[in-house]
Amino acid sequence: MAGSTLTRRALIAGAGGAALAAPVLAQSLVDLGLPGGPSLRPLDPAFPGKGEMIVQRIRPPLLETPMDVFREGVIAPNDRMFVRWNWDMPTAVKAANHRVAVGGAVNTPVSLTLDEVAAAGETVEVVAINQCAGNGRGLSEPRVTGTQWGNGAMGCAKWTGVRLRDVLAKAGVTEGAKRVRFAGLDVPLTDGAPQFIKSIPMDIALRDDVLVAWAMNGEPLPLLHGFPLRIVVPGWFSTYWVKMLSTIEVLTGEDDSYYVAKSYRMPAAPITPEDKDFATVPITEMPPRAFITSHADGAVVAQGQALTLEGIAMGGAAALARVDLVGDGWELPCTLGPDEGPYAFRRWQVTVPQVTANLAQIGVRAANITGAVQPETLAWNPSGYARNVIERITLRPQ
Amino acid sequence: MRAAAIPLAFLALALAACDSAPVVTFADASITLPDDPIELPAGPEPGRTAVLENCTACHSPSTMLQQPKVSREKWEGIARKMIEVYKAPVDPQAIGPIADYMVHVQASQPPR
Ligand code: HEC
Repeated sequence: MAGSTLTRRALIAGAGGAALAAPVLAQSLVDLGLPGGPSLRPLDPAFPGKGEMIVQRIRPPLLETPMDVFREGVIAPNDRMFVRWNWDMPTAVKAANHRVAVGGAVNTPVSLTLDEVAAAGETVEVVAINQCAGNGRGLSEPRVTGTQWGNGAMGCAKWTGVRLRDVLAKAGVTEGAKRVRFAGLDVPLTDGAPQFIKSIPMDIALRDDVLVAWAMNGEPLPLLHGFPLRIVVPGWFSTYWVKMLSTIEVLTGEDDSYYVAKSYRMPAAPITPEDKDFATVPITEMPPRAFITSHADGAVVAQGQALTLEGIAMGGAAALARVDLVGDGWELPCTLGPDEGPYAFRRWQVTVPQVTANLAQIGVRAANITGAVQPETLAWNPSGYARNVIERITLRPQ
Repeated sequence: MRAAAIPLAFLALALAACDSAPVVTFADASITLPDDPIELPAGPEPGRTAVLENCTACHSPSTMLQQPKVSREKWEGIARKMIEVYKAPVDPQAIGPIADYMVHVQASQPPR
């Protein structure tokens, strides 16, 4: 990682929700603003093909996108997209040897080469946000264990591939099929440990925009992002976007595998941190979220002057409907930028005509077209999933 | 749905060849990941050694070191989860010392 640019960039890097663009305390550390700490994270070592990233973990890699990346545009360049592996990732893939097995409740199990997958149907491109189910977990209060992400475990990209349903058609789904399960080349290190396999309901699998993708922003998927193929489920958390896809399995019943039946689950109804026994449901669709990218928490703004704020927002599982700047007892509608599709980030902008009011604890609140709106208070859950509370910052008029 | 579009990089290929030509060509890929220096802060033994020996095979120490402050019981619970769920080969005798070490490290961490 290059020295002087790092220092300058690091100063504006920032991360984490409440403390967007938080101060950097040392040359290669970023402060995620996690309540009670530990909150400092290194910006090294550098990973091949990646630019400056917050290194949450070297092995298996967990790399978080610094919040300044979201200031630059709605698409995350490939070298800044967050990286997340549960188990060690394979470090080499021979294209000619790679196969995707399609089996389970199908008429004819097949083993497809990469060329066969790519030729399975029309080439489709979708712009969609890839967001970890645990994005923002480190900001939970009370704190919960797991990967301590700020809000940078998300990114929007253009994904290119074929429809999953066209790949399924190569094998022919039998009647009574309920779910489609995916496995990649990453396997556990220990016998009997659960492999990272995930499944989606058949109606989702057959969607027009659910892909077996080979490209991200017009480039072949980097290995860190799942080369040669990954599943793309627009509007759903990235836990379903299985990387290094090697097996597609059609199920006729529920999926009782660990990462669906036991993990990546949310309370079925709101709970408090004291609750112990509660029903859970799998985490699936993303809720709306919005972020201020133009100003950091604690930034000084000019008293009496007009103030323009900017940022990004997402509708989640449905298109974004509106974004409002909200303060203590007031709100202002924001203007939305170009529409890149229902599952993409969209920029927003708002001008406060004259800074007179109190700008403590202001935030932006996104709502989608189904009426889902960001809540005032965190829907706390013990795994820190699906954070979408309004993220707030304080500006200091002077 | 947005209309299907073929990105530039692939378009060139598609145009250059006949109908049956692939829309994309796949090349081999490999990566050399950075070294993972297994470094743990000083702390009580035999806990520190027990963490080094039992808890760093599947993930970097940051997995443990970045967790928010939790109780000793919680650390024992985490170690048991590693054994039961992820089949971590951990000597049950080591759970106590591992929890002791983690509690000590968390207590001596600076507030940030
Ligand atoms: C057999 C492999 C393996 C071993 C050995 C192992 N772990 Fe883990 N550990 C995992 C996996 C897999 C995860 C989940 C990884 C992820 O989410 O990226 C995990 C996650 C964690 C987490 C994050 C919180 C959570 O519950 O997900 C902590 C803390 C942790 N391990 C501590 C330990 C400790 C302490 C030890 C030693 C007693 C240990 N691990 C040994 C596989 C292992």
